[in-house]
Amino acid sequence: MRYFPKAALRVGALSATLLASTASLAFAQDKSITIGLTADPSHLFPLAGEELSSNIMYYHLYDPLVQRSPELEFGPGLAESWETVDDTTWRFNLREGVTFHNGNPFTASDVVFTIDKARESIRPGLVANIASATAVDDLTVEITTPAPYAVLPNDLAELLILDEEYTTATDDADMDLKPMGTGPYMLEEWIKEERLVLTAFDNYWAGAPKIDRVTFRPITNPATRTAALLTGEVDVIQDLAVRDVDRVKSEDGFEVLTRPSLLNVVLAMDTREQSPTIEGPNPMTDQRVREAIARAIDVQAINQIVMNGLATPSTQYVPASHVGYVDGMNFREMYPLDIEKAKALMEEAGYPDGFTMTLDATNNRYVNDAQIAQALASMLARINIDLQLNIMPKSNFWGYIRVPTEQSSFIMSGWDVPAGDAGSMYGALFYSRDKKEGYGQVNRGSYSNPELDALIDQADATPSIEERDRLLQEATKILLADVPMIPVHYEQDIYAVREGVSLEPRVDKFIWAYDMDVE
Amino acid sequence: MFGYLLKRLIQMTLVLWVVSVIVFMMMSFTGDPVFMIVPIDATEAEIAQARRILGLDQSLLVQYWKFLGSLLQGDFGQSYVFRQPAMTLILERMPATVELVLVAMVFAIAVAIPLGVYAGANPQSRMSRLIMSGSLLGISLPGFWVGMVLIYLFSVHWGIFPSSGRGDTAEVMGLRFSVLTWDGWTHIILPAVTLSLGTMAIILRITRAGMMEVGRQDFMKFARAKGATKNDVLYKHGLKNALIPVITIFGLQIGDLIAFATITETIFSWPGMGKLLIDSIYRADRPVIVVYLMLVALIFVVINFLVDVIYTLIDPRIRLK
Repeated sequence: MRYFPKAALRVGALSATLLASTASLAFAQDKSITIGLTADPSHLFPLAGEELSSNIMYYHLYDPLVQRSPELEFGPGLAESWETVDDTTWRFNLREGVTFHNGNPFTASDVVFTIDKARESIRPGLVANIASATAVDDLTVEITTPAPYAVLPNDLAELLILDEEYTTATDDADMDLKPMGTGPYMLEEWIKEERLVLTAFDNYWAGAPKIDRVTFRPITNPATRTAALLTGEVDVIQDLAVRDVDRVKSEDGFEVLTRPSLLNVVLAMDTREQSPTIEGPNPMTDQRVREAIARAIDVQAINQIVMNGLATPSTQYVPASHVGYVDGMNFREMYPLDIEKAKALMEEAGYPDGFTMTLDATNNRYVNDAQIAQALASMLARINIDLQLNIMPKSNFWGYIRVPTEQSSFIMSGWDVPAGDAGSMYGALFYSRDKKEGYGQVNRGSYSNPELDALIDQADATPSIEERDRLLQEATKILLADVPMIPVHYEQDIYAVREGVSLEPRVDKFIWAYDMDVE
Repeated sequence: MFGYLLKRLIQMTLVLWVVSVIVFMMMSFTGDPVFMIVPIDATEAEIAQARRILGLDQSLLVQYWKFLGSLLQGDFGQSYVFRQPAMTLILERMPATVELVLVAMVFAIAVAIPLGVYAGANPQSRMSRLIMSGSLLGISLPGFWVGMVLIYLFSVHWGIFPSSGRGDTAEVMGLRFSVLTWDGWTHIILPAVTLSLGTMAIILRITRAGMMEVGRQDFMKFARAKGATKNDVLYKHGLKNALIPVITIFGLQIGDLIAFATITETIFSWPGMGKLLIDSIYRADRPVIVVYLMLVALIFVVINFLVDVIYTLIDPRIRLK
């Protein structure tokens, strides 16, 4: 309890209440909840790494300047408001009276410190679009971007603010065990792989949380997670197994909640003249061949047979909530399943007898990924494409398919943009390779289109978000016509809760107890 | 005795060294850990920075040399993923595993030895046949299936035991134990039973085989003739002489269960160290894998040593050389 004198006081006060008044009264005011996660967090220090369980903890313990709503809207967090001073300078007005869990006041120098610290950390990408940060006064920060960048606030939703004094005095490995933020919850206890307990931070700037004590338990095995919910050991579980959905629905007193995730499963096609796994010239340089492949893939069948109906077919490369989404355009309507048309396109392009290539895919990264790959092989066989499968675990996959992709022609992977903006995705996946630093670094198909590059350049140079939206929508239209990549589907996030727990699943999957309540 | 210890110590050092070399070599095939840590849209500069921070910017040979160097100073390296000392990560998860394995072994022995002795002494009886068929089931049923069935029956259906976790623990000398609290016991029973079944069956069958062989020896008849009770003959004269192979297998099983109780731990979300190994393999977290496997090798060496010592206690004719 050395690190949380306030918590100690609180517990002390609580036991005093227990002694003085009736026990039931004290308990009636103390709400607690137990949440079954798929894995224990790896970190509690936001600059040490990133994965879902850690992210969930970060947002309980820390706050960003800009808060992201469950629906991916961006609003004030530790910054009350912000405005642009000129094309590349932003001024953030910080919230007054916010304190860290140790009582230190939150000030502009903490923000500057966090940005500098992030740059030296293993996650410099967090501040890639920040050139400099200066504290104007205690509650005002000016942040400059290297070029006009309309979605800076969206990026800042992922940068969690550290206490300068505490973080400087604590080494990085210790930061993982003894976090110190301004968030709605404080760490009470973390027993690795067993449980992580958070207690409410009563001085939270947005008001004390409704639930006083949150226990996270890592339960990796999906069937055990279901069992733990049904036996009442946990109140909420993340990632209910698809096969258990009906079982839980049929039980009294439990509820299943689903929502489409942001993760778009996509198929990248090589557009180089020569492709590593294809003999002779690469047919996929021809838009007609790419379109034929898109038309041969039966996304509905994949959804029904492989995904048990728990996937949402993708309409574009980003979800409808994102900057750059074109209302009314639907990949599925542009290129519906049509084998005859696909065969005709193949013939037109000069490949009536098809060709042979290899699909690289994972077997432990996406829901039923290996089965999707198998389904694709049989679907493409109908237009005479002999699809060889090269399936591997994710630990090998990311290095294998890495740009310059010297071993791959056709790759299945996933992409999500929690920042709510198509720009970063297009810049990374579709911008010509090796043309500009920080662009095209994940362009696995070597797609190159000067027109598209120009649009992305302009979008990244405008300080106006409306203008950016317009430019990125133009980019979306080009991409949907050119088909450098086939969007397949969004996975669905599935939660189950016991009755009396109110949980509204977030698009970004970050379970947040502050938004929850229990009866 | 001193010569024996020295020999064992040299052997052990050799084994540990070989394990470290093999793991280091193997890990060069399992993918680059950097890509498990950086975001997929990381730029070259970001990747280079991560590589530098993790110490992965040098050749494998240099990395191995550095690993050996710091090993000699008692530093076992840092996990790439957790950024914590690899040894700490393993040690903080180990007591839970050891506790579970010991309880499982007690279950296994308590059931297997009496049944094995009975089946060995009365090979023709119907009961013995039942025991032997039962033991076949114990060997052939996969642990994950048994675990799921137990959870379904005892937790979900009847609600007798909780399905997962470690329950309340009591602290003794800084270590937490589930077996010291009632709640802890209700949590440990299902995983311990699941874990014990395979070992139980193996020990039962070996005890039976040993007893059948010993039963044919003359000294058993003499013991009976000199007036020892039937139970004395079986347990004091018979079992003692049949124990050597049982103890050998027992030692190997303990090591095996401690090192690789992963499946049972995962099913019951028992917070042991097995899952750490699996996660680390998936994430190509080499420092953790190296230390884990070296620790496992060490456990096996120590257990084998103890087994050798126990031999001499059971059979005075055996000497440690």
